[in-house]
Amino acid sequence: MAGPAEQTHIDRVALVGAVVALAGATMLPFVELRPNRLVPGDLHGLIAAGPWAFALWVLVAVGFAAAFLPGVKPRLIAGSVSAVGIVAALAWALGSAAETLLAGQTPVSRVSIGAGVWVMLAGAAILGFAGQERTRGARWRLVAAAVVLAAFFGAFHLGGLERISLVREFEVRASSFWGLLGNHLALASAGVGLGVVLGVPLGLLATRNRRVRGVVLGVTGVIQTVPSLALLGLLIVPLSALGQAVPALRALGVRGIGAAPGLVALTLYALLPVVRNTYVGLSSVDPAAVDAGLGMGMSRSQLLMRVEFPLALPLIIDGVRTAAVLLIGITTLTAFAGARNLGVLIIEGLGQFAPDLILLGALPTIMLAVAADATLSAVAKAVTPEGVRA
Amino acid sequence: MIRLEGVTRRYGDTVAVDDLSFEVAEGEVCVLIGPSGCGKTTTLRMINRLIEPTGGRILVQGRDIMSLPVEELRRSLGYVIQSIGLFPHLTVAGNISVVPRLLGWDKPRMAKRADELLQLLGLPPDAYRDKYPRQLSGGEAQRVGVARALAADPPVLLMDEPFGAVDPLNRERLQTEFARIQRELRKTVIFVTHDIDEAIRLADKIAIMRDGKLQQFDTPEEVLNHPANKFVHDFVGADRALKRLVRVKVSDVMRSPATVLMDAGDIGMREAAGRRRFTYVLEPDGRLIGWIDTRDIDRGLSAEDAITRVDPGEASVRPDTSLRDALSRMLGLGFRSIAVTDEHCRLLGEVTFASVEAAMSEGDEHIAAPVEADAG
Repeated sequence: MAGPAEQTHIDRVALVGAVVALAGATMLPFVELRPNRLVPGDLHGLIAAGPWAFALWVLVAVGFAAAFLPGVKPRLIAGSVSAVGIVAALAWALGSAAETLLAGQTPVSRVSIGAGVWVMLAGAAILGFAGQERTRGARWRLVAAAVVLAAFFGAFHLGGLERISLVREFEVRASSFWGLLGNHLALASAGVGLGVVLGVPLGLLATRNRRVRGVVLGVTGVIQTVPSLALLGLLIVPLSALGQAVPALRALGVRGIGAAPGLVALTLYALLPVVRNTYVGLSSVDPAAVDAGLGMGMSRSQLLMRVEFPLALPLIIDGVRTAAVLLIGITTLTAFAGARNLGVLIIEGLGQFAPDLILLGALPTIMLAVAADATLSAVAKAVTPEGVRA
Repeated sequence: MIRLEGVTRRYGDTVAVDDLSFEVAEGEVCVLIGPSGCGKTTTLRMINRLIEPTGGRILVQGRDIMSLPVEELRRSLGYVIQSIGLFPHLTVAGNISVVPRLLGWDKPRMAKRADELLQLLGLPPDAYRDKYPRQLSGGEAQRVGVARALAADPPVLLMDEPFGAVDPLNRERLQTEFARIQRELRKTVIFVTHDIDEAIRLADKIAIMRDGKLQQFDTPEEVLNHPANKFVHDFVGADRALKRLVRVKVSDVMRSPATVLMDAGDIGMREAAGRRRFTYVLEPDGRLIGWIDTRDIDRGLSAEDAITRVDPGEASVRPDTSLRDALSRMLGLGFRSIAVTDEHCRLLGEVTFASVEAAMSEGDEHIAAPVEADAG
């Protein structure tokens, strides 16, 4: 990869990242100063951030250097510095802009994050990705995470970041936010958990019986195509009827609205990735190994536990990962059916036309999904038996 | 030891194995052979009940296999298949220990057994026990497959084209090793192959099948000398005489040649040769140096000049070499005879073209001697 031929070419990934970051820094509004949290206000460019604007321009220029510098290592360093630097400087730039713009305004005035910030973050992500291709080591990622966290912590407490509208929305909702986040995580986890409890045996059955396979894979596939909101709506009537008819279930919370339809819908959505990956994982075990195992006198269950499951486990975990990421997103929709989770913030934000409230629901959801993705990827890697690692 | 009585397997209207009966004695290698779809693999898989017979019965050590719990039966029958089927997530030692673990052996005993078997199969335990299957070559993997089948010391081995997927050179090596191990362990072996040469080389008994029916069940010599019908005759091939040589070892037909020691001098050499034209020349410790043509001595050449020196590795064979290999070596070198030496290149005897010819003709007394029987 570090061949001399490559050094004479520009790094196109880094170039794209730098161009995106440049566009965010120059062509799009950085922040919006609004008289209150609901009405639109004046857009301000990056220059509102004062000296931090200059710092960001320099960092974008470093991003361009990452595309054009000769040699792999200088490019890598420039790309990493640019990516991490842009994210860290943005925290301080936002704080600085908020303090400057809010000086002399009424207490209900708000400074909201503008499109330019998101675009610059995207550019930084691309620049960071350009570097990551070559550094397999996790060390620089740890350093990057530490730098970014420190910058946000500092900007929050010293640099005025706490005056950004998003933070103000959080402050208003602080008492309920953590509860909603907890509910969100609990509901999504319960959906994944039930999906695994039902999906793994179904996947196993699919490997054992051709007819079952057709039905199971077909039905879970069809479920996946039903729009989430429609599925929630369709569940309301049968679940409320069920709750009415069986008092014991009603006591457990089975009703037409609330967490119950959400959990049912989420479980159904979790089934496809779990069932499919279980089926693929188990059926990709070498038939010769199965034949040898049975021929040597393993029972069906010994073969399953000692050979088939250990070999299929990484793929099964990968299905769980897909389900988890999917469900964390879909969980926000269950708020429409009365479940209380981060989706509530998004719905209220939509209702009030308060973009920062929408963000307060959406950003933690995205972070949960990314965290679940990273965690379960690591688990899948950890359970891959040494003998079959690539 | 293993007895099939009217064993039949039907799939709907098709009969894969039709009323098959034969008996394999303890310590014998029985090779099932025939064209694809003849039912040989089905027969093998019925013995360990991977396929259940639809008729007849199979007895192993006098007991009907249907009367035993199926797992217990299978653990007493070592099983080797062409595609090997090593477990990729287990090490070589872990793979070999599969059946011992099922039988509840303790760890030190399993480890000791795995090392023993690796040694037996010519894989140094220190280098191999912790390797994973993907790190093995095809030949190594199949050795591990055989070791795994032998782990719990089952009295019976079922082998389904075990060397079919290995390259020809390695296959021959594996066959030789299998013959060596079998001489040592004396398992009762059912061996499926479609390779008639492999069958002749390894079998005590050959069962030739076609369309689920047994065509002939006999020793390789009988199959070669007296094919039961046209199918067997054609299946064995036109080169039956040549195939017969596979069953005869050099030690069965070799004779003592004229020899002379290197330090005998010209006259000594001429005298030692007697009336023979060629005489082997040896070191005092018996190692082969070459030979002399006595006519060269007669023409007045000195002994030193008359000697044709040879590389013993190239121009000699071992006593346990098959006569066919010896013949092919003679043809390759253009000799009418070839020296037989031990592993230290000491001369043991010679094999001549005439003796090969004699062995080729039917009814020769040597042909009745199976390759494995009188070795060691």
